[in-house]
Amino acid sequence: MTRFAITSSTKATLIWLLLVLLTLVTYGLGKIGYSGTFVITIVLASVLIKGHHIIADFMGLRGTEKKWRWLMQGWLLLIVAVIATAYRYS
Amino acid sequence: MKYQSQLVAQKYFIAALSLFLGQILFGVIMGMQYVVGDFLFPEIPFNIARMVHTNLLIVWLLFAFMGASYYLVPEESERELYSPALANLMFWIFLVAGALTVLGYLLFTYSELAALTFNELWPTMGREFLEQPTITKVGIVIVALAFVFNIGMTILTGRKTVVSLVLLTGLVGLAVFFLFAFYNPVNVVLDKYWWWWVVHLWVEGVWELILGAILAFVLIKVTGVDREVIEKWLYIIIAMTLITGIIGTGHHYFWIGTPDYWQWLGSIFSAMEPIPFFMMTLFAFNMVNKRRRDHPNKAAVLWALGTAVMAFLGAGVWGFMHTLAPINYYTHGTQITAAHGHMAFYGAYVMISLTMISYSMPIMRGKVANSQAAQTLEMWSFWLMTVSMVFITLFLTAAGILQVYLQRFTDTPITFMQAQEKIEIFYWLREVSGIVFLIGLIVYFISFFVKGEEPQGVEA
Amino acid sequence: MNHTDKNIVQYKPLPGDFAIWVFIFAELLVFGILFISYAFTRKYNLELFNHHQQFLDRETGAINTVLLITSSYFVVRAVDAIKKNMSQQSARWLALGLLCGAAFVVFKILEFNEKFSEGITLSTNIFYMFYLCLTGFHFMHVLLGMVILAFILVKTHRRKYNADDHDGVETGASYWHMVDLVWIILFPLVYIIR
Ligand code: HEM
Ligand code: HEM
Ligand SMILES: [Fe+2]
Repeated sequence: MTRFAITSSTKATLIWLLLVLLTLVTYGLGKIGYSGTFVITIVLASVLIKGHHIIADFMGLRGTEKKWRWLMQGWLLLIVAVIATAYRYS
Repeated sequence: MKYQSQLVAQKYFIAALSLFLGQILFGVIMGMQYVVGDFLFPEIPFNIARMVHTNLLIVWLLFAFMGASYYLVPEESERELYSPALANLMFWIFLVAGALTVLGYLLFTYSELAALTFNELWPTMGREFLEQPTITKVGIVIVALAFVFNIGMTILTGRKTVVSLVLLTGLVGLAVFFLFAFYNPVNVVLDKYWWWWVVHLWVEGVWELILGAILAFVLIKVTGVDREVIEKWLYIIIAMTLITGIIGTGHHYFWIGTPDYWQWLGSIFSAMEPIPFFMMTLFAFNMVNKRRRDHPNKAAVLWALGTAVMAFLGAGVWGFMHTLAPINYYTHGTQITAAHGHMAFYGAYVMISLTMISYSMPIMRGKVANSQAAQTLEMWSFWLMTVSMVFITLFLTAAGILQVYLQRFTDTPITFMQAQEKIEIFYWLREVSGIVFLIGLIVYFISFFVKGEEPQGVEA
Repeated sequence: MNHTDKNIVQYKPLPGDFAIWVFIFAELLVFGILFISYAFTRKYNLELFNHHQQFLDRETGAINTVLLITSSYFVVRAVDAIKKNMSQQSARWLALGLLCGAAFVVFKILEFNEKFSEGITLSTNIFYMFYLCLTGFHFMHVLLGMVILAFILVKTHRRKYNADDHDGVETGASYWHMVDLVWIILFPLVYIIR
């Protein structure tokens, strides 16, 4: 253990904060009513970040076998990528 | 066999197999009528033969499920059956009612039968698979209720296992959904709508639970794998079955006058119905690979693995083939449907019944497993029936693809009967495969009478 | 020389019962297909989707997102607590998680109620068909997740779990996070991006 090690609870709290913040950003962008590639990119990027942390830290896949992490993160990436494609060329 | 009352299963199985023979005979007759239109006319018209074929199928499968439950439940619950006398009584009631109904089909015209059985008082006849006279349906309900009661009391007052509870859920569901057979609204859309609650929610819902439970039971017995492992699989399989299968009913609501959204719901959810069937395949092979013992009944293991593979092919692959609305738009009600119906029913429900019979009959006849010679013959019958069913399916699929193309897809479509003429060769090939199936079934029956040195081993 | 030892990496197993993971993968597949169907259907009905999306209630949507995230967070703390053998703390976190879930359900019912009272049904148009199906299907998962949470809450409260034996808590937690994960995608997809 180093001096800077943070407990798992603190880490969870920080991640929670990040998730809430990103949600507020998403909501804000929706509220303003902007549309277009820029907004979609930001929102989808925030989905990726949020999803990534839920999978790795909340669901606890960090440190498990590669295949499980690939499966879950891959699912997230795939869905977001397909959504992006469908919205990009619409 | 651990409990005396398990023995009632034997007569259920014998009845089931006899009716199975009847079903196949009528199938072969019909297959002939497909190519030689006036074959056995006027004694056995096609519509009557079809009714006998499908109704015998359902009835013998019910006999087999009941037999399987009477065998499985005491062993799982670790107690004698709640009431063997009730089980015996119901057997005879069901058999007599079934026999009278089939005789009714064969001896009278359908409208005479309807009049004779007072159909006008509560009309329920005249719909595919549910052609039985109303009084027969009432009889089925009584038998089913007495059966579920008997099984339920045994389970609830004995050891409760995941296997027996899943089985019970499936059996209760079977009885409950059959009640929709009594609802016969005048509006054809509504009629069809509820009709599928029996037909679809049986084979793609509650029956799958029965299938899963019986498969799990046999696998526990023949592989010796830990119960906990098997139960986990069972949980997931039934969860996926229900998630996908219930809304999946929508794949029958594409073109019958039901709202548009069913095209989406039906396509999306039913497209995932193959998942539980696929998991069943993984499950069976996994368990057999991890087996802790080599059970002397090799034939039963073969049937179990065969069920897992053929159910996936018939229901999963052949079901998926025509389940998306844009595809079903062309294939609806063609020979593709018949191809799928045959392989799915055979692969899932016929084979699971034969798996259970193969496992339990030798035990009920006082031995762990049949002699090597008998098992070899049984395995021959497995391959004869299974391979010929694969061929029936392939020929019907080929016929179906051509039919769809000639009659519905091309720019210059031809009429139904013109198309039928052009695909006649496949009906001949189907009939040949059907006869091989019949031979396989006869070989199967013979295997019961082959003697020889029985393998020794502990009863499992 | 023994250099193989050094290369062995110690992997954690998936948290909770393996069965729930197979279930989670299957469920994610179901939702994945629903999301992709939505995205492509929108592509071919652009105006309709963009028009009706405006009338969705983004506020409750956002509140609900925060509720589910927070609930997930509480459940993470519950798992942490039980790993340290603190079953009563763990039960308290679970109760908080459940409370957030209940709040989600209330908001969702209000939202559905408003839509239904406007006479909107599955047949109104393809956008509302997807909206009701996606949110409705997810809603049922929230309910199922809550039943599971309630179940492990009771067991935790009765001290049936401890630092060495808490598979049940992790199993329920994993499922609950899945419900959260799905909403994280559903919310922006259906309510926000256009
Ligand atoms: C265990 C084996 C069998 C099972 C489970 C089975 C099942 C079925 C089912 C479910 C149907 C109704 C199909 C639908 O509604 O689309 C059906 C119809 C039929 N079966 Fe079978 N069957 C079996 C064996 C056979 C055999 C061996 C033959 C003969 C060659 C045969 C010939 C037919 C025919 C000709 C029809 C009527 C198709 C039509 O109406 O166009 N079946 N069978
Ligand atoms: C063991 C399970 C199954 C059995 C026994 C079974 C049996 C049948 C039968 C007999 C029919 C014809 C009904 C009629 O008379 O119209 C049918 C129709 C159909 N089945 Fe299955 N099925 C099973 C599973 C599945 C699955 C898993 C799927 C989808 C993936 C599926 C998709 C369909 C579709 C789309 C139809 C309608 C065909 C049409 O439009 O004509 N089935 N099934
Ligand atoms: Fe179906």
